[in-house]
Amino acid sequence: MDFLTTYIALAEIYVLLGLSTNLLVGIVGIFSVSQAAVFGVGAYLTAFLLMHSSTPFPLAILLSAALCILLNIIVTLPSLRVSGDYFVVTSFGIQLLATAVFTNWTGGTGGANGLPGVPAPILFGHEFIEPTEFMLLSTIGMALGCLCFWLIMRAPFGALLRAIREDELAVAALGKSVLRAKVSAAALAGAFAGSAGGLYATFLSFIDPSSFDLDASILLLTMVVVGGARTLAGSVIGPFVLLALPQILALIDIPTTIAAAARQLIYGLLLIVFMLFRPQGLLGEKL
Amino acid sequence: MTAYLQVTDLNKRFGGLQALRDCSFTIAKGRITCLVGPNGAGKTTIFNAITGFLAPDTGHVAFQGTSLDGKTPQQVVRHGIARTFQNLRLFADLTARENVLAGMQDHVGEEPFAAIFRPIHTARTLAAKRLAALDVLAHVGLQDRADTLVRNLSYGEQKLLCIARILATGADLLLLDEPTSGLSGAALTEVMALLRRLQSEGKTLLVVEHNTRVVQQIADDVLFLHHGHLLAHGSPAEIIADPKLAEIYFGGAL
Repeated sequence: MDFLTTYIALAEIYVLLGLSTNLLVGIVGIFSVSQAAVFGVGAYLTAFLLMHSSTPFPLAILLSAALCILLNIIVTLPSLRVSGDYFVVTSFGIQLLATAVFTNWTGGTGGANGLPGVPAPILFGHEFIEPTEFMLLSTIGMALGCLCFWLIMRAPFGALLRAIREDELAVAALGKSVLRAKVSAAALAGAFAGSAGGLYATFLSFIDPSSFDLDASILLLTMVVVGGARTLAGSVIGPFVLLALPQILALIDIPTTIAAAARQLIYGLLLIVFMLFRPQGLLGEKL
Repeated sequence: MTAYLQVTDLNKRFGGLQALRDCSFTIAKGRITCLVGPNGAGKTTIFNAITGFLAPDTGHVAFQGTSLDGKTPQQVVRHGIARTFQNLRLFADLTARENVLAGMQDHVGEEPFAAIFRPIHTARTLAAKRLAALDVLAHVGLQDRADTLVRNLSYGEQKLLCIARILATGADLLLLDEPTSGLSGAALTEVMALLRRLQSEGKTLLVVEHNTRVVQQIADDVLFLHHGHLLAHGSPAEIIADPKLAEIYFGGAL
């Protein structure tokens, strides 16, 4: 039972994160490979606040979201100056920088050893310590994220973001501010990633840099590609499919060292196969 | 009396190329002015300079007595000037109606706050704007294609949609970059009729046009540009009757 609920709760957190990536990469066309870094900042801040201060859980999540809004705006701003391929390289640098900080700032992040003992969330005096209980929180988080995403995509803001992806110059020629729209989208994506980070840290009660490195960013992109870019359904199904993979491998009787390598291998293959044969993913539009 | 649009002594140099050289002219309100000249004369550069896409090295642009110097493209649209592009630049993965909606100003819910926290208000106003967009499409004869993706429209329809999209901005001065290029027959006639109709509705048009037959039929005034400099300004008949200009235009003489 715990096996299943843990999987669902984790997948729900990744859905929130997938929405963040899909909004930037799929909808606006800002090809960020550093979303795991922003996710990590949210996770570390929530962990730090809960471990070293008496900040209540909801406030810790809000503060993490706020910091990640700011951070994501800053790391997305280069996309206004450098376009397309060049931004990928910039974003790559940001991800490496973040991993270096996560790994070496032992005072704040615990370095490579990570931060053990992050307290479970407490809400209305109740401690959400069992996976089944936590699943309630992650489900609410995911539902709120999906609702926001859906409302945005049906509003003129969604149309503006899609137009920006196609032709920024034409958007400017129609009297719209590309800067404002991009900053808004980055802020939203930051809020999603930051709150996902907070949920992640309190759910696992242990975080270390390996959850927020370049591999993690690429896993996120794989989720978006396999699930389907640009759609809500795609963002939801991607994490559920990809996180099921390690569980299925765990059921097959192979040594854990091989299983870890096999997982990476399968992620890589999935990315290639989907890009070649089904670029729209399972439930999405063509990237 | 101040000119409707006043362009004064524009200069722009791209490396070794003097794209605009002391270029000055005025546009009168309510008229169709055609901007002609051989390839590379600086016609599109002028459009870019007027609409804020390009900062001239020196010179000024004023619209209805207000200076547009240093304004961004967004601000220029707010002043009531909108432009089309030679290579269309439509949003190909959006429908015709969504392209027109993108041109409309002051949408509720065009930022995330209203979209998320005022969803009903956003949806209601969007429904009204979608109907208004249909009217704009009807104006150029595309009402039946409203929900077709732009990539599935014919070239002629795409050219009409470009005009619909800037009409949606509410601009009074329309800068059209080769609205008839690549068109022939019925599609060409349709665009020419549309331009005249827009004029009769009070719009002012500045049109980059290569087809001398079209110029003769639609232009009230013609600006002849050569090497980034205004060589002549007159009625279509005057410009076409000038053998020197004809030689530059057709003979490719330097």
